[in-house]
Amino acid sequence: MLKFLYACRKELLLLLRDRAGLAVLFIMPMALIILMSLFQEIGWGTLVMESRIKILFVNNDKDTLGLNIEKGLRSSSYFIIIDSINGKPITKEVARDAVKKGNYLIAVVIPDGVTKSIRTNVRVMVTNTLAGFGMYKQGITNNLSFKQTDTVTILFDPTIRSSFKSAVVSSIKEYTYRIENEMMFGTFNQEIARQFPMYKPPKIDYREALTFREEFPSYRLVEKMPNTVQHNVPAWTIFAMFFIVIPLTGSLIKEREEGSLFRLLSMPVSYAELMLAKCAVYFLVCLLQCALMILSGMYILPLFHIPMLEIGNQFFPILVISISTALAALGFGLMIGTVATTNQQAAAFGSVSIVILGAMGGIWVPIFLMPDIMQQIASYSPLNWALHGFYSIFLRGGGVIHILPQTLKLLLFFVVTVLFSIIYRQIKSPIKK
Amino acid sequence: MSDQIIIRIKELTKIYKGSEEPAINSISLDIYKDEIFGLLGPNGAGKTTTLSILCGLFTPNSGTVSIDGLDTRSHLHEIKQLIGVVPQEVALYPTLTAVENLTFFGNMYNLKGRFLREKIMERLKVFGLERFAKKKVSTYSGGMTRRLNLIAGLLHDPKVVFLDEPTVGIDVQSRIVILNYLQEINKAGTTIIYTSHYMEEAENLCSRVAIMDRGRIISIGNPKELVDEHPEFKNLENLFLALTGKDLRDG
Repeated sequence: MLKFLYACRKELLLLLRDRAGLAVLFIMPMALIILMSLFQEIGWGTLVMESRIKILFVNNDKDTLGLNIEKGLRSSSYFIIIDSINGKPITKEVARDAVKKGNYLIAVVIPDGVTKSIRTNVRVMVTNTLAGFGMYKQGITNNLSFKQTDTVTILFDPTIRSSFKSAVVSSIKEYTYRIENEMMFGTFNQEIARQFPMYKPPKIDYREALTFREEFPSYRLVEKMPNTVQHNVPAWTIFAMFFIVIPLTGSLIKEREEGSLFRLLSMPVSYAELMLAKCAVYFLVCLLQCALMILSGMYILPLFHIPMLEIGNQFFPILVISISTALAALGFGLMIGTVATTNQQAAAFGSVSIVILGAMGGIWVPIFLMPDIMQQIASYSPLNWALHGFYSIFLRGGGVIHILPQTLKLLLFFVVTVLFSIIYRQIKSPIKK
Repeated sequence: MSDQIIIRIKELTKIYKGSEEPAINSISLDIYKDEIFGLLGPNGAGKTTTLSILCGLFTPNSGTVSIDGLDTRSHLHEIKQLIGVVPQEVALYPTLTAVENLTFFGNMYNLKGRFLREKIMERLKVFGLERFAKKKVSTYSGGMTRRLNLIAGLLHDPKVVFLDEPTVGIDVQSRIVILNYLQEINKAGTTIIYTSHYMEEAENLCSRVAIMDRGRIISIGNPKELVDEHPEFKNLENLFLALTGKDLRDG
């Protein structure tokens, strides 16, 4: 036991002297959590007031539809409407040129006469409807036809991400459909009054028949609105924990390359004891990383006006998933450190494999956005299992029982990788001749 | 030199996987207590393999090795407590200080506390390193690291010490300090098994030498007596070249 503790002390000293390793383990993930949370909140979230998107607005209609769309966009907290550049009103050509040059990301062009077209089409609909009551002479509707639909043009900078584009188009369509429906009812009312003077049109308040409510089912008694912090903190924490591969493999290989292992194996101490000490220290480092990242989410992110990560009374499930993730990361590092013959091999393979497993696992891009085949492949990534475990806790308010499948997979991964390392070492001597 | 056998090697053979030729081929050897025994040979002769088996790092394909009456197959842990190893490569942690390195290695030999601290400072003083005790090994010169490497292998006062080319690539002053120290501890009762490419060093230091080539011992005895037996060769180096040939060996 004493030799185990002495070996642990040695490992701790070596780690503390490895400043680059410490930066990779602690500073990089904290920076990632803060920056990625900031970027995502700026893109679409609570920092909207300081970063609304500028939209060039060309209203050639200058009538009800155009004016109402303009009013709707101006009242939105997401957009800043710009209708003139250098004091001159914008035309469609000017808007196209500005977006092409990258000066503005979006431009909306309402064509001339679109309100008139809507009114004409509404009249046609009213006449056709009332003709059904036999109120008009035969054949009066034969000469009536719908006017061709006008097109509202939305110009986008090609560099805009498609998810953002879709969100903007949806918002604009929502305004136009609502305004169009209101106009139709209003125009319908006016048209009846025009054709039947005895009809006194009542004031009709347009009300939507359908409303939408967002709910977030979870295991909690009280539902909570999810936020980006609940994804970012666990995602980048897991990524950082698996990056333990770099200093761990470095430590394993340096001992082989520098000859220290030769000396150690000639001493009255078992290789297993030495490895156990190494694993114990790096395991504790992993848990420390996890604790620091969660504390960052709780206390540092709010300093940047980003929602706080709330852990509530879920300390124990967080501890369970953290331990199993740390063990999986350790096993992976042990396996690479055993197989790799040089530091360069281990560093290159270790870092690239973590990035790939992270991408597969949903750290960078949510899994539901991936093609089916990729989603199946993602289910084999230990980072994916860990992320799902944390999601069950932070997003669904789950307990230990709900993270059991992910925990067991991570522990099995640990066992498999350690067994592989032991067997591989038996086959290949670790001593450099 | 005592007549008590401290290391007995009987028909030792080692064949590495994938190799057709044995690295050591049925060698037998007795090493006596208190002697300084030199294991000489060109590259690939089997010296390091022999040393590695004696230290318990490799398992032979056949044959037996006993150290101080203990068989390496059944008492390896006890044997490791008795032996010290000074490998050819400087086997230290460069980012740790001399004291930190020696404290860790001393702990592995069950040395601890004040006894260990005093022992470390005493040894560092003997080798002129006490001023650099708290400096990282990465700041040391080649000679300094070799001296520290030696201290690490001898800190626990082993009965038997294996040294694999301990003076290679160092300055003359460091070499003299090391060789003088080895002679001192040998007089105090430590058996030394020593490999080297420096024939003159082996001739002056060793009580007996074994010349190995292609996994076999081709000559064994006191260096002076070996040279006397072959008066046509003026020194051990010429005898060595005659026995092993002048062709380059690359291991």
